[in-house]
Amino acid sequence: MAAAGQGGRSGGGGGGSGAGGGYSSGTGSGRSGLLDKWKIDDKPVKIDKWDGSAVKNSLDDSAKKVLLEKYKYVENFGLIDGRLTICTISCFFAIVALIWDYMHPFPESKPVLALCVISYFVMMGILTIYTSYKEKSIFLVAHRKDPTGMDPDDIWQLSSSLKRFDDQYTLKLTFISGRTKQQREAEFTRSIAKFFDHSGTLVMDAYEPEISRLHDSLATERKIK
Amino acid sequence: MVRAGVVGTQLPTSGLDIFGDLRKMNKRQLYYQVLNFAMIVSSALMIWKGLIVLTGSESPIVVVLSGSMEPAFHRGDLLFLTNFREDPIRAGEIVVFKVEGRDIPIVHRVIKVHEKDNGDIKFLTKGDNNEVDDRGLYKEGQNWLEKKDVVGRARGFLPYVGMVTIIMNDYPKFKYALLAVMGAYVLLKRES
Repeated sequence: MAAAGQGGRSGGGGGGSGAGGGYSSGTGSGRSGLLDKWKIDDKPVKIDKWDGSAVKNSLDDSAKKVLLEKYKYVENFGLIDGRLTICTISCFFAIVALIWDYMHPFPESKPVLALCVISYFVMMGILTIYTSYKEKSIFLVAHRKDPTGMDPDDIWQLSSSLKRFDDQYTLKLTFISGRTKQQREAEFTRSIAKFFDHSGTLVMDAYEPEISRLHDSLATERKIK
Repeated sequence: MVRAGVVGTQLPTSGLDIFGDLRKMNKRQLYYQVLNFAMIVSSALMIWKGLIVLTGSESPIVVVLSGSMEPAFHRGDLLFLTNFREDPIRAGEIVVFKVEGRDIPIVHRVIKVHEKDNGDIKFLTKGDNNEVDDRGLYKEGQNWLEKKDVVGRARGFLPYVGMVTIIMNDYPKFKYALLAVMGAYVLLKRES
């Protein structure tokens, strides 16, 4: 029964069936269950391997998926919402300027226009400061709810960098303890060639262990303390 | 054995999947794509309105459309204008004006000025390369222009750059196609 089930799954796995067939027979059942979940929910990620931003985005997304699905953390959208709000307010000033100028043609609309233009560029400045200093290159903020419900949540942050035309991808995981407010971080730098095959498919079997290792290195320290 | 075929949900792998980035996005990311596009449009709009406020002219950048000011300005030159109320209009200066009822501004030189004590002026213009003055271009019965017809005074210029605007106005389909492609690129591609 198990063999037939596995055969069916690896047959239906599409592009990733090569990798799945090779590994799922060799590893334990818990491991192959996770791999199957990734394959069934989303098709294996296939991107243009020469497109730097697509590579970085897919690595970031997969790291996000590992933390949210494997460790069951809850994503916190506060940082992203902040950026969206600033942008929305800027567009609002632009729309006000557009409509006001249309209703009261130029010379009369001068003060309102001046106000909107200045406000818009001030918002742009605020946005730049926000993305450079507050958001930095963080693409995930996740909370681990305390099982006892008494202590504040632990916060995990993921940030990454991949320089243009470079193949070295750096992923940094930051852990902020809810109780002690202490911050610990761990990172790794690997060539993207380690995670993608020649056709541009992201091989989770090579990527997921790195993430888990990074996570566990920070989690275990906590248990010792 | 029954086979269920899934039709139409998968583009051929060798084909171009332009919605690929969008399909992998959640609500917030999709909203950000739209916002990104809106911010680019807003930035261009705000820079233009900002120039309008700074220069006091309703159209601070104009393109020379005809050869009536040669050899000073040629067709396709870009002109930067200001329209400060304190600047007096004197004979010999180049002004950009709009005739009442027409919306295409004209770039010509002022050749005669009548000025009242309170600052009101009436002036006559002529293109350097034209044989006659502009009375033929003015409204029926109008012989002089006034301050309110002035769009601005030329303060600087860039040669040839305006040809792009002329081409886009002569071939509007090209303009819309270009804008559509640029818009699609911003909306569909995910920024890192």
